[in-house]
Amino acid sequence: MVLKLVYYGPAMSGKTTNLLSLHDLLAREGRGDLMVLDTADDRTIYFDLLPFFLTAPSGLKIKVKVYTVPGQVRHDATRKAVLQRADGVAFIADSQTAQSANNFASFDNLEKNLALVGLDIERLPLVVQFNKRDLPDVVAEEDILRTWGPTGVPVFTASALNSWRVVETFGALAGLVYDAIDGRCRLGAVHGLQRDAFVRRLTVRGEE
Amino acid sequence: MTGEVARYVVGEERRLADILSDADVVPIIRGVLRVGVTEALIADAAGTTLWREGSAAAGGIAEELPLYLEGEEVGRLLVRGEGGSLRDVALLMADLLNTLVVNNLKRMLTTEAHSAVVDQSYGELLDTNRRLARSEANYRELAEHLEQKVEERSRELKQAYLRLLEQEKMASVGQLAAGVAHEINNPLGFITSNLYTLQKYAARFMTMLDFYRTTFDKGYDCKVIALQAAAKWREMKLDHVCSDVEDLIVQSIDGAERVRRIVADLKGFSHVDETSGGEVEINAEIDRALRVMEHYIPRDAELVRNYREIPAIAGNPALLGQAFLNIIQNAVQAMPSGLRLVIDTSCGGAAIRVSFADNGPGIPAEVRNRVFEPFYTTREVGKGTGLGLAVVYDVVTGYGGSIEVACPPDGGTIVAITLPLRRE
Repeated sequence: MVLKLVYYGPAMSGKTTNLLSLHDLLAREGRGDLMVLDTADDRTIYFDLLPFFLTAPSGLKIKVKVYTVPGQVRHDATRKAVLQRADGVAFIADSQTAQSANNFASFDNLEKNLALVGLDIERLPLVVQFNKRDLPDVVAEEDILRTWGPTGVPVFTASALNSWRVVETFGALAGLVYDAIDGRCRLGAVHGLQRDAFVRRLTVRGEE
Repeated sequence: MTGEVARYVVGEERRLADILSDADVVPIIRGVLRVGVTEALIADAAGTTLWREGSAAAGGIAEELPLYLEGEEVGRLLVRGEGGSLRDVALLMADLLNTLVVNNLKRMLTTEAHSAVVDQSYGELLDTNRRLARSEANYRELAEHLEQKVEERSRELKQAYLRLLEQEKMASVGQLAAGVAHEINNPLGFITSNLYTLQKYAARFMTMLDFYRTTFDKGYDCKVIALQAAAKWREMKLDHVCSDVEDLIVQSIDGAERVRRIVADLKGFSHVDETSGGEVEINAEIDRALRVMEHYIPRDAELVRNYREIPAIAGNPALLGQAFLNIIQNAVQAMPSGLRLVIDTSCGGAAIRVSFADNGPGIPAEVRNRVFEPFYTTREVGKGTGLGLAVVYDVVTGYGGSIEVACPPDGGTIVAITLPLRRE
């Protein structure tokens, strides 16, 4: 079984940094190496991939592949290719007030591309992360909560650069994905893999 | 957006055989065989051999290394041979193959993304082109339609205008007819009254003649007859009757002559008896117009005719007569009493010039350039149609001529017409 999680968001919002941070934080066992496919001036052109491998008590092998999309507007075709058949999306927003318009445009682009690849944003597991909380001049947390609270979408403030709340974001998305596929794949009932165990296995922290 | 999406799905499960081809692998395997490897083998995750060169028979040690696809082991590389560098050769070959896998994946994604973008752009261009072609067709149709509509409407308007001009001509003729009827009615009135009187007189003559015949038949004496006849003569006032008869007949003949002349003028003016393609005697035509307007022109009006000799020109005399009549009518309306109308005609070069100068109040400068405009009138509503000078303009330009209206500073209006001697 393969699950595909996608880190979406505007250019320079820290999607790759999230993956790098996850790679550094999480235990070596059960995950593959981070593949960073080509960058130009530190900007993702294709995508980054961080794969996780786990086995359910039933023996079911589960691969969780976490991708980032290129954030720059011009790489829309690649974004669509990455987004196809995604099982969950983490939207990484840039907290800086100056980036609000870019966040909005990128989320709009996400909605449009989801529709294009035949995914329903209402039903797709989705978490939002407001990254770069370490920077000054960021959107107030109350404002973020006021905006996103009513949508029911889990929102995390984070600082990927400082590895702060990166694992929480990933864990929340993993939990939502479990909820979404459990009914279909009967992970708990047939394969003996409960939600807690699933999330815990994906977020085991490595030894310091 | 056409919604074109790359067929390539990032993260789709792929096997090693999907990513690597003979062209990628065979040269590498052959290359390692040349540096002392006796057998090289690549198997997929299920253990199925995909590529193999050399033979295990030669013996030696085997090095086995994993091959990865998106971080996952998808196959194994086995290298058999002798020598201390075997491990290095195996590592180098595994690195080569793994790099090939990553690069091939990138190439597949790029190619797909590229063709998706190209297809989409091409599709969008085709769409745009189709839309443009469609809207161009619409515009062209609209334009053609518009032109046609405008033509139709212009034709209708022109016809309506021509009908109105005709009506205006008819209206002038109608007014003329009313005036003429009055002119004819006067002589007809006294002619009729004279005839009634003559009827009575004739009866008295009959009575007298009857008296003579009966008395002569009875054989009366001449003296008696003479006496009785004288009494009867006196009784019937035949002296007076006899002297009156002459007057009555002269008057009636005169009246009848007047009617005949009026009818002749009218016929002459309207040129009803003439076939088309006639000739126009300008001076005679102005006189005809003046004559049929005799009743209309005030008695105190002074008419000055400065006619020069003018050759006849080809054309419809009725139309020009109508034009002259309209101009004279305007002069009379401008100056109901004390009118002095000077009519000049001359011929010079290839043109005939006719001018009508009145001593009326003139035309205000601001409306002077509008007087030929159809329906433009300064008269009260219902008093003028605004077509009088439009008819004149129509007739004159129809002759290939031109017309100008000028108002000299010392008053009055001059309508000057220029007509070509020979029409194009």
